[in-house]
Amino acid sequence: MKLSVIKQQRLWWTVSAVAVLTCAIAIGLCLVRFNAPLRPGLDFIGGTRLQLARDCSISANCDEAIDVAAVRQLLDAQGLGNSSIQAVGKRQQELIVRTRTLDVDARERLQGELTEAIGRFDPALTQIDTVGPTIGRELFVSGVLALMVSFFGIVVYLSTRFQLDYAIFAILALLHDVAIVTGVFAVLGLVAGTEVNSLFLVALLTVVGFSVNDTVVIYDRIREVANQREDDTPFGAIVDDAVNQTLTRSINTTLTTLLPLLAIFFFGGETLQDFALALTIGFASGAYSSIFLASTLLALWRERQPATAIATSDET
Amino acid sequence: MQRQRLTFGLMLVLAIAAIVVLVNLPLSLGLDLRGGAQLTVQVQPTDEIPNINSDQLDAVKSVLENRVNGLGVAEPVVQTVGEDKIVVQLPGVSDPEQAERVLGGTAQLEFREQLRDTEDAFAQLFSQQRLLLFEIDQLRAADNPDPEAIAEGADALEDANRALLPLFGEALLSGRELRDARAEPLQTGNGWQVTLRFNPQGADAFAELTRNVAGTGRTLGIFLDDVLVSAPSVGAQYADRGITGGSAVISGNFSAQDAQDLAIQLRGGSLPLPVAIVENRTVGSTLGRDSIQRSIYAALAGLLLVLVFMVVYYRLPGAIANVALTIYAVLTLAAYALVGVTLTLPGIAGFILSIGMAVDANVLIFERTREELRAGKTLYRGVESGFYRAFSSILDSNVTTLIACGALFWLGSGLVRGFALTLGIGVAISMFTALTCSRTLMLIAVLGFPSVRRKPELFCPKLSLAAKTAQM
Repeated sequence: MKLSVIKQQRLWWTVSAVAVLTCAIAIGLCLVRFNAPLRPGLDFIGGTRLQLARDCSISANCDEAIDVAAVRQLLDAQGLGNSSIQAVGKRQQELIVRTRTLDVDARERLQGELTEAIGRFDPALTQIDTVGPTIGRELFVSGVLALMVSFFGIVVYLSTRFQLDYAIFAILALLHDVAIVTGVFAVLGLVAGTEVNSLFLVALLTVVGFSVNDTVVIYDRIREVANQREDDTPFGAIVDDAVNQTLTRSINTTLTTLLPLLAIFFFGGETLQDFALALTIGFASGAYSSIFLASTLLALWRERQPATAIATSDET
Repeated sequence: MQRQRLTFGLMLVLAIAAIVVLVNLPLSLGLDLRGGAQLTVQVQPTDEIPNINSDQLDAVKSVLENRVNGLGVAEPVVQTVGEDKIVVQLPGVSDPEQAERVLGGTAQLEFREQLRDTEDAFAQLFSQQRLLLFEIDQLRAADNPDPEAIAEGADALEDANRALLPLFGEALLSGRELRDARAEPLQTGNGWQVTLRFNPQGADAFAELTRNVAGTGRTLGIFLDDVLVSAPSVGAQYADRGITGGSAVISGNFSAQDAQDLAIQLRGGSLPLPVAIVENRTVGSTLGRDSIQRSIYAALAGLLLVLVFMVVYYRLPGAIANVALTIYAVLTLAAYALVGVTLTLPGIAGFILSIGMAVDANVLIFERTREELRAGKTLYRGVESGFYRAFSSILDSNVTTLIACGALFWLGSGLVRGFALTLGIGVAISMFTALTCSRTLMLIAVLGFPSVRRKPELFCPKLSLAAKTAQM
């Protein structure tokens, strides 16, 4: 089987363009609705999140599902009308309340009243997160800044090891993957209420690492094939050969990385599910963009250049 | 072959050393995995002190450490982060409200005069308090801190502290009037002292205070958050006018460390800097444990599938890669333990990705080896040039990742940093294991076992006849 990525390049570009456009629209809708590209979680906007679970070892404590209406009334009475309230868990025995930032006293008062109204909670199953608004911003800003600097470092390294245009298309492919993952989570935010927190930022960084890695391996092969060929071989043919020679590797590597992630997504616990999903989408997109985008875009660019610009970078 | 044997020996030694490290120095789990409270305290600038320097941050940290010690938590961690933040980790704490209240208050340094006729009671209580402090320190420093014993000690200490307070009068002078406190070596060169400097109002108050207790056998109580931290007595020669001029020294049997600690405590108490808890993450002790455990099992099952896949697809080299991957995992975890990485969710992400990259390096090499074999090279040359030609890909892809890790570690904070550190360590080790372990084991298999050499299909199934005859 020989895959010609060049022959069908328009198809791949259309697929990616449609996907990225859809993602952009979803991100745009999020911007309108949440004033942020994704439905922001606590980490980024600040506030207090209380996750409480009824203590079911006490008899009759867990007989009925938690009454959300009662909780809402209670919160309204405390001037916390804008809070989000969810009853979750198998038998609706868990309560998640998100409010504006509460100090210790306010929080304890709220917990006390909830206990009175709903029943005893198990402290070992309680989760409290209070994040000041500045913390989230700092985390976000430092993360984005670090990302920019690492992009710059990657461009510098790749342009010395390869050439500047290789580096630029590698970053382009990487931005494609970031856009896809962000877009999917924007859709999930709109449809399923999925929020992103700082762990999502970490997932994005992981995707970036994988995507660059994948692209570099293919580029390495393109450079090698280009050096073996006559100078007048069309760059498209070089790219086709290089992609085919590395195809098994690309598939196998993606497979071996996705296996544990898919296992976590389908069989793991809730805590890691969103995280595994983000990585799965990102890794799949990373493999796709390396094979179908980074290579074809490079070929398109190179073929439009005067012949002298063909890679002659040295082989190690 | 001699070289391969040496490398093989080195690998064995490394792997055994790594296992020894892991047994003796278990990985610490982050609070998101084992439950507990993590509080981030931000030091707030004021009109008088608009910029916070590292001295002031250290002083506040010392105050927080004292307060944390009062909570009686085993293995607490208090760290300064960035320019104005302090992170306090309290593993296994079940009462985050108490912790938040205790940590969030403003430090209160006060100078009080010991009341008349309390000398006996004071001597007894004071030595009891010092003894308890010492015992708790010992308990905390133990290899396996016993949380119950520590909590008990903390309770007893609190009782002692509470009993000491009524022996002193009301506060006549507060930390606000203290300008500075420094540890200095004694001029005789043997031992240390702590010097204090007050502002003008403070100087007057201090003179009065010291005149009252000078030569009486009663002490001057220095309290931090209502806890007695030092109880110096004042010599009889000051009975007339007290210690004037706004500066004084506290001398005693101080070691450099003791003097330093006291000076930091005093400085901390003198800081008019308010603190605010800007972040609180408390995870119940069993919450998430189930979920994490299931995820770990799922990930292990996934990895097992990867190992199976490697053998099925790559045959003998796949099996060799699996050995190398196992060595990789052991070495990486040992490196985490040595560097002191706390394993949190992002850390696990970095680890998973680095496993992926370790597998990738092997896949790259084996694909290359297969190409060389199909091109008719002998097994030995195929393996050698497979490694040689895959090297540039492995190097480039790993260096790019390392560059990204470096940037993220340098500029990122918290979660991002942890991720960058674990990924960076993993990538560096994966390059080492792919290029030494896999290579050495492959060469030993090819060179050391003639029967292997006669069966190239162990390396590459469906090798064409032409290529096969070339092997003979």
